[in-house]
Order: sequence, then C-alpha cells, then structure tokens
Amino acid sequence: MRRILNVIRLQMINRQTFIWTPLIVLAGATVLSILVYAMIPVDTPKYGGAGQAPLWYFFAIGIGAMSYTFPFSQAMSITRREFFLGTMLTAVLASAFMGVLFLIGGGIELATGGYGVNGYVFYLDWLWEAGPLGAFVVYFTLALLLFVAGFTGTTIFKSWGLTVLTIVWVALALVIVGLGALVTKLELWGDVWTTVVSLGALGLALWGLVVVAALMGVSFLAFRRTVP
Amino acid sequence: MTAVIEVQNLSKRYKDKKALDDVSLSLEPGAIYGLLGRNGAGKTTLMSILTAQNFETSGTVRVFGESPYENARVLSRICFVRESQKYPDDATPRHAFAAARLFFPHWDQVFADRLIAEFQVPLKQRIKKLSRGQLSAVGVIIGLASRAEITFFDEPYLGLDAVARQIFYDRLLEDYVEHPRTVILSSHLIDEVSNLIEKVIVIDNGRIILDEDTDAVRDRAVTVVGDAATVDDWAAGREVLHRETLGRVASVTVLGSLSAAERTELTASGLDLAPVSLQQLVVRLTQRADNPLKEEVH
Amino acid sequence: MIEEGKPLFLQIAEHIEDSILDGSLAEETQAPSTNELAAFYRINPATAAKGVAMLTDKGVLYKRRGIGMFVAAGAKDLLLGERRSAFADRYIDPLLAEARTLGLDASDIAALLVERAARTEGNPA
Repeated sequence: MRRILNVIRLQMINRQTFIWTPLIVLAGATVLSILVYAMIPVDTPKYGGAGQAPLWYFFAIGIGAMSYTFPFSQAMSITRREFFLGTMLTAVLASAFMGVLFLIGGGIELATGGYGVNGYVFYLDWLWEAGPLGAFVVYFTLALLLFVAGFTGTTIFKSWGLTVLTIVWVALALVIVGLGALVTKLELWGDVWTTVVSLGALGLALWGLVVVAALMGVSFLAFRRTVP
Repeated sequence: MTAVIEVQNLSKRYKDKKALDDVSLSLEPGAIYGLLGRNGAGKTTLMSILTAQNFETSGTVRVFGESPYENARVLSRICFVRESQKYPDDATPRHAFAAARLFFPHWDQVFADRLIAEFQVPLKQRIKKLSRGQLSAVGVIIGLASRAEITFFDEPYLGLDAVARQIFYDRLLEDYVEHPRTVILSSHLIDEVSNLIEKVIVIDNGRIILDEDTDAVRDRAVTVVGDAATVDDWAAGREVLHRETLGRVASVTVLGSLSAAERTELTASGLDLAPVSLQQLVVRLTQRADNPLKEEVH
Repeated sequence: MIEEGKPLFLQIAEHIEDSILDGSLAEETQAPSTNELAAFYRINPATAAKGVAMLTDKGVLYKRRGIGMFVAAGAKDLLLGERRSAFADRYIDPLLAEARTLGLDASDIAALLVERAARTEGNPA
C-alpha cells in the first residue's frame, strides 16, 4: 500500500505533468476565449469549447505514463500492479482537480456574468443541468476517460504492436458506424435522442465511467506482460 | 552458500530467434560478476528476465529463492538500470534521484550527492537534453547509490569517457568494500573490468560458454609464437583456440596453463610465450563457439 | 604493475613477498589489509583476500585477532629459501637457453657474470 502511494508521489515529483501544465493550458484557453468574446459585438450569451483543451492534454499524459513513466518505474523496481494502481489513482486525483477547476470557473462565470462580456467557457447550461455535482462528474469523467484511453492505446501498442492497435481502432470505428447504420435503418434516432436528453450530461458521464472501468480492465490485462 | 540467483534451463525465444538457450546459472551473494559477451549475445535479455522486466519462454528463475514476477518483496531489493533507460517525459536528474530515493530502501543521498558532483550531472536540466555521458552518469549514480542487494549494471557507462569510467570503477569498488552487495556488471570492455570482477560469465548467442572465477581463467590460455613447424609440432594434441600465420611464423593460442618446466622447454626450442589477457581469451572462446575449429593442427 | 596471464592473487602475493624481502615490510609489522590492497591495485577485494590467504597458508603472514594481518617472524628467511630454490629455474635456465641461441657457452657466461657483478658492486645501488 505504501508503495502504491509512493507511485502517486513518483508521478507528482514533476509537478508540471499533472498540475501545472493542465492548469496553464486551461487558463490560456480561457483567456483567449474571453478576448475573443470581448471582440464579438453581440449581446446574447456566447459559448465556447475552450474547456476541452486540457482534456486532450490528459490524453497525451496517458500516453506518456505508459511510454516513459512505466519503463522508469521498472528501473525503480516497482511491480506492474503497484504502478498501475498508483498511476490510475493519480489520474483520478488529477481529474478531480480538473473537475474542481471547472467548478471554480463556472462559479466565476456565474458571478461575473460571463466575465462581463456574457461569454462562457465553463458554465454551459446543458452540463450544469444536474447542478454543480453533475458538472464536476462530467468534467472529471472526460479527463479520466481521455487519460485512460491514451494509456490503454499505448499499452496495446507496446504489448501487441501497431498492427493490433490499428485493428482495434478500426474495429471500434466499424462498430460505431455499424451501430449508427443499424439505428438509421431501424429509424431509432428519435428514441436515441430522447434517451440522451433524459440521461442528461450527468447520466452520460456515468456511462462514461463504465467505459473508463472497461478500458482500465483491458489495459491491466495487456499490461501484465508488457516489456518496458 | 545459498545462491542469491538461481537460473535453471532458461530459454527465451522470439519468433525466429533464440535469445537465450538453456541457460543455467547459480550466483552467490556478495560477489561482483562480470557478464561478458558480444552485442546481441543475450546479456540484456538475461538481466531483464532476472528482474521480471521480461519473461522466460521456459525454465525457472529464482531470486532470493522466489520468483521475481510481480514480487515486491524481491524486487525492492534489486536495481536494474538499463543501457538506454527511459525517464518520465520532461524529468530532470533531480526528479530521477528523488524517485530513486522513494523506492530503494537503502538509498544513500549523501553518496548520491558526492557522485553527482563527481560526474558533473546538471541536476535541473531536462534528461532529454543531456549528453550521452551525462545520461549514463544518471543511470550509474542510481545503481550505485541505491545500495540494492543485487545491483545490475547493463553497460551503463557507454557514453562515459575514460576518466568517468575510471571514477565509476573506483567508486564501485570502494562502496563494495564498505557495503558488500551482489553486483552483476555487463560489459564488452573486458580488460577494463577484468580486475574488478571476481567471477566471469561469458554468454554467446544465448548460451553460456564460460562461468568461472576470474583468477582461474586468467592463466587458462597461452599464446606460443615462432617458426610455424615447431609451433604446430608443440601444439599437436592440445586444444587450439586460434591460429594465425605471417610467412613462416605462426602464432597459436592454446588452452591450458604451462608449468615452469614446460615454459623453459619452450623457450629452449626457440619459441616465444605471450600471455593471454582475459579479453583475448573471451574473444577467442567466443570466436571458437561461433566457428568451431578443427581440433588437430596440421 | 599488473601483468596479464598470471592469476592476480599470485601477483598480489608476490608483491607483498617482494616488500618483505627488500625490507620495506618488516617482520612483526602490520601487512596491508585486504581492502587497502584492493583499493591500491584497483582489484576485487576477494582477489586480494586470496593472495593474503595464500601467504597465510605459507606461513608468511599470520592473523592477530581484532587487529589484522601481520608479517610472521622468520618470513624473510622463509621467502629467501623459497626464492633461492626457484632461482635456478626462474633465472638460470632461461639465461642458459638464450645463451645457447647466441652461441655462448658456460665459461663465456661465467666471465660475463663476474664482469657485470663487479660493475654493479662497484656502483652503489
């Protein structure tokens, strides 16, 4: 247990990776958005997707955790299980941190009426339908999902090679397209949309967590025999 | 003495190649082992499997009597820094050493600081941007300061210049004397390490071709030089490792040590004796293993 | 200092013997420790220990409990005896072999010996 906690400390030795860089990316994207909003001469609320910028960064650090930190952890004589659990815990903590930032951002936007220019990066209505907790879960899940996706993809790559990874990618795409075709064929889009709306952002986020768990399972299995 | 590492019939096969072929070894605690062999002979593969970073196709590995795979009890007592070790993205040496301090129970920060100064490692510069020598120094420092009961050094001094290498050998010996541990040092700079290592293991094409005390091996061979006919005459019936000729002069390297009487007899017949360094011996043994010679010399 | 082709521990032992013979390491004084030897020659301490063990077996060194290895009384004489018996094998036989190659006979060698001995004895070492 102590060693797993030490893995978290290991990941945090370089504060940049999990704390500063996402923060800077988020801050930068937000400031840019505010400037753009200020320049648009319209009074209706403006919404932007700057909030997703740090999420893609989480995808990158997921890749990095497997590509660089894992081989290093082997040199530190850490077992695979310790590394996996410690790294996932770190990702959870970092995602929670992002969630908190998201809430703070939303709070600021509410209080200042969109930075005085009626522009919103965080307080996107649909995401806050279920209240601040819901918004937190949404952002948390997105960050964690992207980290785990990067981590899992890289694990598959390292364990089984580029070919297998491509096959997995293509297979996933085919499944999605296939489902889409099926839904179109059976004219179920209306039902699909109703379900999405009733689930709301929070409901989707919870399903997202299920996907996260599945990905974690896959990467753990692949990872048991990865050579650094 | 109970072996600290016990390997039995270890084989590692990749699709088309056998990286390790029926390797059996028994390593005693507290000795410095030299793991010698050509590039691609299997040294790194062997060490990776011993540290559970890679997996055997068949055979057994026991470290401290247990299987090392996913075994924190065993792994926390060993240290293996690879030749081209990866470090976390954007990490600095300071980060790397801080990490080592977290995971190696016997980590000695004072020792590490001294080594950092001696090897002139820039602590705050990104590891990505370090020179090859500085990168090797980081690995060497982690291995030395870890004081891990079994420490592997996988040619970590590639990139270190002769001065830095000598610092490494000196500090390794000094620390080993004060704090004995089992050290496995892989190298192809054999003559440089020959005085350090107590035991020699030579691996070639995945097979162990020598596994002995260094001192026992040291007078294991002799080179006899002189008139080709006389030399060949003398070498008949002996195990020849290598033969070359230049005109009428032949130089033959033969396995077996000579008594003082035999030596006198040789010089009396006008032949010269040349010693065979450990490096030469290993090279010849390896060459012979790769290209089996005819036993008789005609 | 370290030559190839001869077991290291033997060479270490011989160096210690040399210092006993030339007087720089006196009887009943402390011999260099295994670790000191290892550091000085930059060799594995196990090898140094082997050399010391060999000398102990021969009776050249002995152990004083808690202090270290000491040169035994009579070690110098012991070594002199040993080296003198080996002298003929080590030095005379090769000399004769080379002399034969050069066509020098025993009386030629004797004359050379006397001449060279006079020269070195005349000049202080």
